[in-house]
Amino acid sequence: MSISTPAGDSSRQTAPPAAKKATAGAGRPPAARGARPSGGGGGKGTRPGGGGKSRKPITPVKVSQGRSWGPIALFSAVGVIAAAIIGYGIYAVSVGPKDWKEKAEGISGISDFRKSDPKLVDTRSHKSGSIQYPQTPPVAGDHNVSWQNCMGDVYDAQIANENAVHSLEHGAVWVTYRPDLPKDQVDALASKVRGQEFTMMSPFPGLDKPISLQAWGYQLKVDNASDDRVDEFIRALRLNATLEPGVGCSGGVTATGTTPRELQQPQGQ
Amino acid sequence: MSTTYDDTAVSDSSVAAPPRRRALLLTSAVVAAVLVVIAAFGAGWFASSRNHPGEDSVEAGFARDMSSHHAQAVEMSMLALDKSTQPDLRLLAGEIAQAQQAQIGMMQTWLRDWHLGPTGRQPQMSWMTDGASLVHDGLMPGMASAADMTKLRNATGHDFDLLFLRLMQQHHLGGIHMVEGVLAETNETDVVWLAQSMANNQRAELEFIQQILAKIGA
Repeated sequence: MSISTPAGDSSRQTAPPAAKKATAGAGRPPAARGARPSGGGGGKGTRPGGGGKSRKPITPVKVSQGRSWGPIALFSAVGVIAAAIIGYGIYAVSVGPKDWKEKAEGISGISDFRKSDPKLVDTRSHKSGSIQYPQTPPVAGDHNVSWQNCMGDVYDAQIANENAVHSLEHGAVWVTYRPDLPKDQVDALASKVRGQEFTMMSPFPGLDKPISLQAWGYQLKVDNASDDRVDEFIRALRLNATLEPGVGCSGGVTATGTTPRELQQPQGQ
Repeated sequence: MSTTYDDTAVSDSSVAAPPRRRALLLTSAVVAAVLVVIAAFGAGWFASSRNHPGEDSVEAGFARDMSSHHAQAVEMSMLALDKSTQPDLRLLAGEIAQAQQAQIGMMQTWLRDWHLGPTGRQPQMSWMTDGASLVHDGLMPGMASAADMTKLRNATGHDFDLLFLRLMQQHHLGGIHMVEGVLAETNETDVVWLAQSMANNQRAELEFIQQILAKIGA
């Protein structure tokens, strides 16, 4: 199509140019031919007028009808494709899926220790005995070789930081609350945890806020269990915050108490 | 026929008309381009929401909830491998642990491929018709309670074997119910394939559980 049209065009135009040169501007016909795809509309009117003086107007009409639709179609198609690519690009950048880190950063009041303390977040050796942590409750660091079972376990007493930090490394969200939190709020928190693996919950005496949520490198403290940010924190970070994808939450320590539990002896053989 | 028009155009205003027309053309070109950009934006949004299941889809809900459901079966099976001395029970437990952990990996991979998080914003089981009513105390159909799990951890010998088989029986029945729920509502090829094979595996394992129960004298 794009080949046949220009050919037909030029064969038709073999006669008219002489007439055009005489009447209309000399430089016009070649320029109009070249500029046709973009702004040919203006030239269209002048040329037929010139041809009309010397002959019957049939030939000039043919010239105006014989515009090079091939290049026009080609340029239009390229334009449409370019615009489509730009449109899709805008879509992808503006409303494309946010990654979990962006979601976590968007939670107001969250502490992001992956940014503020990357060294701590990279510290994750197995150590026995008690370990001092810079945050209360801890959010990352060296930890016990055994992890706390985090299969949606709701512990009714304090658990060992050293085991809990290991659960965070596996991708768990650890919900802690001050023991004076009203029972209905404790129950509300428990309902977000129970049956949901990669979460666990335990009381934590001495918290500066009634509720504190931990994931590896992240912490959020809130006053009330009904705060929407509790769910936002769990949604953004549960499993996502893992440093060991594929490693689970079962097979861990299920006992409570603040003394870290080392490897458990096989039971019941 | 257009000759007259062209002729008048020339005689009337051979200088003024072209710029006006050019401006008109330019304007319509810009408008067209903007429309195309908007259409493409919409198409992008539409395509990405249709290409794969969305945030609140049946498929995403199933992938998330069945991962949780499976995780408990793996936990129970690992306890059985640790504690039971029954060879056929240990064989069953090893099979369940391996299959279901692998299936968790597949379902989590779907979620990543679909650009969805592992945790949804809807309550558990709400992807299934009347599903939310099947959740009791955070437990999906067939799941063992925290008290059951404590009992299982503390049980030994024959008691352990019996409790494990009974709990796994319930677990599989609940799991098959969930699988039937997703099969009733999805056409997603991978989901249908995996859900169907879960149902087949777990039905076969239920038979195996019956045989072991009969053998150990239940």
